[in-house]
Amino acid sequence: MKRLSCPFCGSRELEEFLFHKTLPEPGSDAYAAVYERVNRLDDSHEYWQHVHGCRAWLYVRRNPSTGEVHETVLLGGSTP
Amino acid sequence: MSSKLRSGTRLGATQLRFRFDGRDYVGQSGDTAASALLASGVRLLGRSMKYRRPRGLMAAGPEEPNALLTVGTRPLIVPNVPAPQLVLRDGMRLHSQNRWPSLRYDLSSLLQAGGGVFSAGFYYKTFIWPSWRRYETLIRNLAGLGPAPGAADIPVPRIEHLSCDVLVGGGGPAGIAAALAAARAGANVVLCEREPVLGGELDFERATVDGREASDWVAVSLAELAGHGARILAGTAIVGGSDGLVVAHTEPGGLAGKATVYKIRPRRFVIAMGAIERPIAFVDNDRPGVMLLGAAERLLARYGVAAGASAVLFGNHDRLYQAAQRFVAAGIRVRAIVDTRDAGTLERRPALAALRAGMMRAGVDCLVGSAVVAAHGRLEVNGASVARRAAPDERRRIECDLLLVTGGWSPAVHAGLHEGGVRRYAGASAAFVADGQPGWRATTGAARGILELGAVVKDGHAAGALAAQACGAGAAPGIAPVAVGDCEPALEAFWRSPARRAEEKRQFVDLQNDVTVADLRQVLAEGFIDIEHIKRYTALGMGTEQGRTSAVLGAAIVAELKGEELPGVGIARTRPPYHPMTLASLAGHRTGDQLRVLRRTPLYAWHASHRGVLESAGYWMRVRYYRSNGGDATAAGIEEARRVRAHGGIVDGSTLGKIEVAGRDAAAYLDRLYLTKASTIKVGRSKYMINLREDGMVLDDGIVLRLAPDRFLATTSSAHAEHMLAHFEHYRDVEWSGREVALANVTEAWAVIVVAGPSSRATLGMVLGADWPARIGALTHMDFAAAPWQGRELRVLRASFSGELAFELHCRPASAVPLWEALAAAGLPPYGLEALDILRLEKGYLVSSELTGSTTPGDLGMDALVRLGNRCVGRDLLDRPAFQDPARPRLVGLRAADGKAVIVGGAQLTLDARATRPLGYVSSSAYSPAVGEWIALAFVARSVAEGAELIARDPLRGSNTAVRVAPPVHFDAGAERMKS
Repeated sequence: MKRLSCPFCGSRELEEFLFHKTLPEPGSDAYAAVYERVNRLDDSHEYWQHVHGCRAWLYVRRNPSTGEVHETVLLGGSTP
Repeated sequence: MSSKLRSGTRLGATQLRFRFDGRDYVGQSGDTAASALLASGVRLLGRSMKYRRPRGLMAAGPEEPNALLTVGTRPLIVPNVPAPQLVLRDGMRLHSQNRWPSLRYDLSSLLQAGGGVFSAGFYYKTFIWPSWRRYETLIRNLAGLGPAPGAADIPVPRIEHLSCDVLVGGGGPAGIAAALAAARAGANVVLCEREPVLGGELDFERATVDGREASDWVAVSLAELAGHGARILAGTAIVGGSDGLVVAHTEPGGLAGKATVYKIRPRRFVIAMGAIERPIAFVDNDRPGVMLLGAAERLLARYGVAAGASAVLFGNHDRLYQAAQRFVAAGIRVRAIVDTRDAGTLERRPALAALRAGMMRAGVDCLVGSAVVAAHGRLEVNGASVARRAAPDERRRIECDLLLVTGGWSPAVHAGLHEGGVRRYAGASAAFVADGQPGWRATTGAARGILELGAVVKDGHAAGALAAQACGAGAAPGIAPVAVGDCEPALEAFWRSPARRAEEKRQFVDLQNDVTVADLRQVLAEGFIDIEHIKRYTALGMGTEQGRTSAVLGAAIVAELKGEELPGVGIARTRPPYHPMTLASLAGHRTGDQLRVLRRTPLYAWHASHRGVLESAGYWMRVRYYRSNGGDATAAGIEEARRVRAHGGIVDGSTLGKIEVAGRDAAAYLDRLYLTKASTIKVGRSKYMINLREDGMVLDDGIVLRLAPDRFLATTSSAHAEHMLAHFEHYRDVEWSGREVALANVTEAWAVIVVAGPSSRATLGMVLGADWPARIGALTHMDFAAAPWQGRELRVLRASFSGELAFELHCRPASAVPLWEALAAAGLPPYGLEALDILRLEKGYLVSSELTGSTTPGDLGMDALVRLGNRCVGRDLLDRPAFQDPARPRLVGLRAADGKAVIVGGAQLTLDARATRPLGYVSSSAYSPAVGEWIALAFVARSVAEGAELIARDPLRGSNTAVRVAPPVHFDAGAERMKS
């Protein structure tokens, strides 16, 4: 997966983005939210940020085995 | 060595001069080094890697295993360029490789006459006693291919980025048909071909396409492609592709041409990279003059070079006869055609019978059910021994000076395997094709195992049309071209000629790595039965050739020796780069200054011109010390620190991270991010704050200024600025979205000059002038004042990182140099990071050595802050029992027990010199001019009391120093100087 589609800026090279972390399971307590993650071969829920672009935080859902991106959501207050 | 001009499809009319191994030769424009040398009668072109056997040209492309040349003049040389890939230039200097002292008389071949010692994996079993290092230099000098260039001054390639709908890899018949179909359908097409001229084998096959000469069709098609706006990259090789990115590379085998690396992002990739001819193994099948059939055909058609005068052809398919026809017509005497297939096969094919009859009438001895069992000659082939397969010991010799071998073709699977995929055995071509490709790539033509021209062109057209359709190009791709060329080869798999056991060590399977049938038998006997292990143990399929001619042959012989079927044995996985690339090409322009970003403060030029020693700290260039203050960092640092306490000094703090936080909810937002409350800061005042990571560890510290009720400036340490900004943005956008908070990274909008020392207030007031002295005089610790200075904004914050009376000036970058120079001229000398560190260490202030990311506020002595603290990020996980463990280290100071010794940073602290479990370690240390001895900050188990004696141990340098636990503040414990 060499490109990511930023909802604000469009399809951009992967180098413009920074992967932050995968999301904890919904309903995790503080400890689990920091230390525990569930690994899925086909469905990964991730936070990325378009650091060399609009600096938007993005929720990305993708298949880590094939690199296929299912969903990219712009997070934060204002919508484009 | 005639100087008459040859004619061929690639040749021009200009004569070119070049030099090979010190002798001068003449070639023509369009020649390759291989064709020019062969035309000049030079047949000995290299020596093999291990056994140093004399070798000549075997192939016509990058699959050439032995004729590898070094181009250029030392130190700017490029090694390992296959001679058939090297397009000749006037004045080119070429050298053969792997020989000493010369190609013809090579002494190293004597050293390696003992074939048994150097069989596969010899370095695991020999040259070990008494120490393998004794042999290493000798073996390294003898091993390998060409020499590496000695100079760093290699031209940097251009990097070009392209996007397109359909990328077609390979400009042969399938590739051109695919590109045409896609372009006609309206797709944006890029066609990439590694040879300088497109057309593939059409230039010697004498084919017709749509009724016209193949070369005409190629020319017309390329013109049509250009008309559709397609981009044609000739002389450009595809080196790898995965994840939607294909990298191609043109590096015209030398330095005069400029290399270009193409990074292509196609929506669809059609792989039409053809099939590579493979040899058959027989005894001494590596002699100069033993060549692949297609190589000789290409030499003849493209370059007008007859590779020999009297040839024997040996193979397992119909094209032998068609090639023989072409050679006879060109005046090369064909002594015999040795066909491994039996008479029964041939009788069933009347068209073939007619061909054979014609050859026999021309005086060619047509043998069936036979094989060439050995080649004769040493520096050149001078004969071949043939025998019937049924009676391999009844050998007879045929005189020849050219022995052309063809075992069929292996589809070029490399490019199709760089991103998963499997190898599927295709029986018709007795080879493997790449299958199970990800959706954006498809293979077509000979690369897919289709060997007959008509079918190849049709398949290419279909693939191109399909790719265009997948990109949404809906126009009509046109009718597939109808091509008629050489017949279907009707190949019957044949891998090696019969041989006696003792002869197997001269039946070569991989000519580049000198892997023989005997090696394969040995490696199986040693238990390496998986093809991947066999590859690594014997080196089969390594080197520049990467198994192009040897992988399938090797696998088939392994299958024969194991008694298994070839599909079960498989071939080893290949990886990019498909062609060798120089490291310079891979690096591109990311070298030297362009490898990492360099950030400079507005005062950089001043520091550089005033003998400041600048070092990179993270991405910033910062002053460590000024050379006028001492010979080295330590001496200068001590002098600069002493001067600040005695009188005063200025330091450049512009790298400090600064984030403005504004909005209605800014105060509440900051309260939740920092351990201490921001909402209680009054306007015009600041506070020292720390924030925590989600797991409770201290993340960073800094000062937060309140500029207005709804506006704050948060400073962060220089190293953490980027991270803190992302941290702030995360909480605003993800965890607590819906709050009205604006964030701005103003790190580079404000230069920071720190004025510290007893004379700082007076000097600063004098320099700033106007009513500044009164304003500064009114500032108490942690207050700030903001007003213009020389027309630009200035904030003066009374805060100290040195423990002296100090002021942090935040000014606009344009004011930085005038302000700094004015302060320096007023008698405040500059100091650097070395002194900064000594000053803060004397006061027990924290930097990254203490804020390591694995220290809690409790570890750092900030229990009071925690007790008063907020419900902020990370607070929840701070209440873990392990953080109260008495063995958990906390921050203390250290002094040498004798008041004199050096305390080494990083030293482990134990109770005595024999204990093995440390109680802690030294995090920072320095000689303190204020105290007159070495001081340190350390982390020591909470159970160790103040005053306890410990040993600081440095196992690397072997020193043990007695130290005493002391308070972390070594100087001016009451902070009198700061509050004065």
